[in-house]
Amino acid sequence: MKQFTVIIFALLVGCGLMAQVDRTTAPPAGKAPKINIEEAQKFELKNGLKVFVVENHKNPIVSYSLSLDLDPIVEGDKAGYIEMAGDLLGAGTSNRSKAELDEAIDFIGATLNTSPSGIYASSLKKHSEEVLELLTDVLYNPIFPAEELDKLKKQSLTALQTSKDDPGAIASNVSGALLYGKDHPYGEVMTEKTIEAITLDDCKKFYTTFYRPNVAYLIIVGDISLKDAKKQAKKYFSSWEMADVPTYQYETPKKYTKPKVAVANKEGANQSTVYLTYTVDLKPGCEDEIKVKVMNYILGGGTFAARLIANLREDKAYTYGAYSKLNNDELVGSFSASAKVRTSVTDSAFTEIIYEMNRLKTEKVAEEDLQLIKNLLAGSFSRSLEDPKTIAKFALNIEKYKLPANYYQTYLEKLEAVTAEDVQAMAQKYLTPENAVILAVGDLRAVRPKLEKFTDGTKVEMYDFYGDEMQTLPVPEGVTVDDVIGNYINSIGGKELLGNVNNVELGGVMNIQGMDLSMTIYSKKPNWQCVETFMQGNLVSKQVFNGVAGYSESPMGNVQLDADMVKSMEYQARMFPELYYLEDGFKTELSGMEIINGDEAVKLIVTNPVGNEVTAYYSMQSGLKIREVVGSPQGVIISNILEYSDVDGIKLPKVLKQSVGLQSFEITFETIKVNTEIDDKKFEI
Amino acid sequence: MLLKNKLFPIASLLLSAGLMAQAPQIEFEEYDLNNGLHVILHEDSSTPNVIVSVMYDVGSKDENPDRTGFAHFFEHLMFEGTENIPRGEYSKYVDRAGGTLNANTSADRTYYYEILPSNQLALGLWLESERMMHATVDSLGIQTQKKVVIEEKKQSYDNRPYGSWLAETVKRAFKEHPYRWTTIGDPEHIMAAEDWEFKAFHKKFYVPNNAALVVAGDIKKDEVKPLIQKYFGEIKPGNDEIVRHGIVEPKLDGEVRDTIFDNVQLPLIFQAYRTPAMETDDFYALDMLSTLLSNGESSRMYKSLVDEQQKAIDTGTFPLPYRDPSLAIAYAMPNMGVDCADLEAAIEDEIKKVRDELITEREMQKLKNQYENMFVSGNVKLARRAENLVTNYVYFRNTNLINTELDKYLSVTREDIKRVANKYLVKDNRVVLYYLPKSYQN
Repeated sequence: MKQFTVIIFALLVGCGLMAQVDRTTAPPAGKAPKINIEEAQKFELKNGLKVFVVENHKNPIVSYSLSLDLDPIVEGDKAGYIEMAGDLLGAGTSNRSKAELDEAIDFIGATLNTSPSGIYASSLKKHSEEVLELLTDVLYNPIFPAEELDKLKKQSLTALQTSKDDPGAIASNVSGALLYGKDHPYGEVMTEKTIEAITLDDCKKFYTTFYRPNVAYLIIVGDISLKDAKKQAKKYFSSWEMADVPTYQYETPKKYTKPKVAVANKEGANQSTVYLTYTVDLKPGCEDEIKVKVMNYILGGGTFAARLIANLREDKAYTYGAYSKLNNDELVGSFSASAKVRTSVTDSAFTEIIYEMNRLKTEKVAEEDLQLIKNLLAGSFSRSLEDPKTIAKFALNIEKYKLPANYYQTYLEKLEAVTAEDVQAMAQKYLTPENAVILAVGDLRAVRPKLEKFTDGTKVEMYDFYGDEMQTLPVPEGVTVDDVIGNYINSIGGKELLGNVNNVELGGVMNIQGMDLSMTIYSKKPNWQCVETFMQGNLVSKQVFNGVAGYSESPMGNVQLDADMVKSMEYQARMFPELYYLEDGFKTELSGMEIINGDEAVKLIVTNPVGNEVTAYYSMQSGLKIREVVGSPQGVIISNILEYSDVDGIKLPKVLKQSVGLQSFEITFETIKVNTEIDDKKFEI
Repeated sequence: MLLKNKLFPIASLLLSAGLMAQAPQIEFEEYDLNNGLHVILHEDSSTPNVIVSVMYDVGSKDENPDRTGFAHFFEHLMFEGTENIPRGEYSKYVDRAGGTLNANTSADRTYYYEILPSNQLALGLWLESERMMHATVDSLGIQTQKKVVIEEKKQSYDNRPYGSWLAETVKRAFKEHPYRWTTIGDPEHIMAAEDWEFKAFHKKFYVPNNAALVVAGDIKKDEVKPLIQKYFGEIKPGNDEIVRHGIVEPKLDGEVRDTIFDNVQLPLIFQAYRTPAMETDDFYALDMLSTLLSNGESSRMYKSLVDEQQKAIDTGTFPLPYRDPSLAIAYAMPNMGVDCADLEAAIEDEIKKVRDELITEREMQKLKNQYENMFVSGNVKLARRAENLVTNYVYFRNTNLINTELDKYLSVTREDIKRVANKYLVKDNRVVLYYLPKSYQN
């Protein structure tokens, strides 16, 4: 018997040593390890300050985090002042100048940061009394020095300038304004103007109003006992005076009922930042929280298994990364999906994001995929416990959001209980691309036409850095008035050929309210003009100008041009007006770009020497004028030149669509003659 | 006075001994497998997690000058799959286990890691051993990752304001040494490279005898050793001889100065000084000097340029710690309306001060306190400890440096700091770049 055992034993050992490793399948997991979540200890001071203590004696470090629980505040025309108040808090006390304070912190190798929502300090344990002394000096005795505010303003202005190049900052401003409105605390945009408007009093008032123990938590974490923590809290914080702190409420921003499609420009970008976002009602600790988190991780959590990465990066190689986020918030939460993709696939990226969102709504997630995400979240939860601050954060959340005391102890159970049905229900409830802002930040010219497909026929709106809508595209860098006029003249034949044109005759037909009309326009150098309109062969109207006088004849009567009109016509009747735009007396201004019939056009505003203004649009691609807008007593006249004819190298309008108010008509010139005989009688007055 | 002077060194010795007591010792065990793979084990059961990571002794400095970006490319490629792990599944094993993984590449090395629940230790070993033994290097993976890497370059370098600063700096600071290109490399090299070239690079460098494995966290050494043997023991060592470039970059001998016009809103000044390699005495002194100049709001450059003179919105200095002699960078972003030359003169004033005058005793003590804090805080996270351990082995064959390196800093003197300032932070030894908005070009 004994021998037998030995043989078995030897076999076992031998197998253990000799066995081929089975590399074809992943080794199974061992027994699941137990995860211990320590509890934070808490107590309250008489002034209402709630203190949490998490002991962790592994490293000789202690940190103190003072955290205010405030409602969001509207800053209005001083956007940015709260952030500045937070910074200024650490900029000197009645005992120490900023330089002395900085030196004292750095000398002990400590950290001390101030912000609008609190003060954080950390150091080696042996320096913790010094750190607390510094922290409370900042808390009780800040002096808000004027020169520090000036410095901060200067820095903020400079920082604002750099952020104009940052697609993330642009996206954040624009989406904030679109989701919440610029009068909401989450949609406010800091500008040069709001920074300039900030005063010391604004900052001081923020501090005296909101820095109060009754709205604050003190979180002590690290190599310290509860007893010592209590001693320190009492010693340093019991003299902090309580006071009533105002609370604020806001209306929930309205959701869009159809996609809001927008673009913002980033000069010279070879990538687009695509951003699909909308608001959601998702409060911290709400019933859906864990289920919806699982759903969002399946869609676009930071893992290769997530569908956005699998689709946009691994499958299509559009991008280096694609993610979705669901932010819970007591006021109003938000969903966003984003990626930086190469410009050419900007639209495809949105299409795929929306496809993946809809897929989660319509198809139930495979059990295996669900388990993967649950495991991943469980692992991340477990790893987060390495940092004792996590335990403190848990305690704080329980307190702040009134969560059940065992919320985190039972977190993993709740996570494990999430089903595929739950995920689908969450997707149906929270994934609503039809309400989204669809925003791309990148090369505006290239991206804008691509996004039209996401609108229901409405235009793609353009926004600037500040989140304000732009009516025109910016003119490309380096393009001048001379270029635009020069290109146009070249595109219709060139200076020399145009100079040889003595007269032009254009004849065409049009249909107005069911009636066929024909029209002939005679033009003669330099500014003679005769326009005749016929109905069924009968002349119905005629306008004539001969350089010094003119009249208009119609069924309503016969009118002579007055002196002012004559002066205007001297310029307006010129055959090729652009030949004169660069002469003295004309004012010209490039005023942005517009997309006209899919063609990008630069907008030129010209004021002639007698003050008449004409706005003309020239195609960037062909150089041709494609639209002209002038004012008239009847209203604004918009002429679109839809097609040109070529006559001996000279291009003249062939199809013209004109509109005044609600009326519009289209005329096609079938007869186009250059330098033929035109009887001077036509121009007789 | 005499007595006081005599006592002082003793007092400071005591002080540093006292300081040392605060930095917890990091225990580890290390050994080699027969195939040359170096193994480092470190136990810490604070949370039920383990980290399994492999550092390959290959970085962009090992690349062919007309095939730059290879090491980084492999960082991507080696997630594609292995003989036993289908394409795209590698990271899913980690996800399914509730773990996390990533990799990064520098000029000097490539690092892959997984952090897993401790009951999935075997999975981590299987994954990393599969990667070492059987990584799939095929056309499909190469084609996909080529596109991803191009987008990464656009996102992280081309489209980021000042994103090209490192590439622009190193190509001027080094004429011969492979540090003259960056890890992302030249996309054209990657695009042009044929499959066989990737295969050859892989066969040469991604072998056990050119790598070190670290397993750390909630482990028991006795249990983990046989597992390591099981998964890694059978991997054949590489046969290709790895010949390192051996290039010693000649002295810069004269300032290099240039202007880059870029899509940025504000100017930014970069100065890059040629500096000694990591782990040399001068390196430690220079590193401390860099901290003196710009770490914390009371640091000399920050205080002077940002707070007092308000010439800069931000300024800083930092070393590029490499195995071969490398660079220390100083940068400053002028406040609006401040001339770059004016700001640069202010930087130079601060650097001149450390060349001309000894720093104060109090400043020296502050530096020591700061380093002590950095060493304790820097090793709090398990992942950081694992990486520090293996880096010290791969770079210097001195794993225990993690426990002794603080001493090297604490033994730097005020005189050392002045000496290195005079030796390295001088005009002839630097590259100066101005980044200016394109609108300044006209």
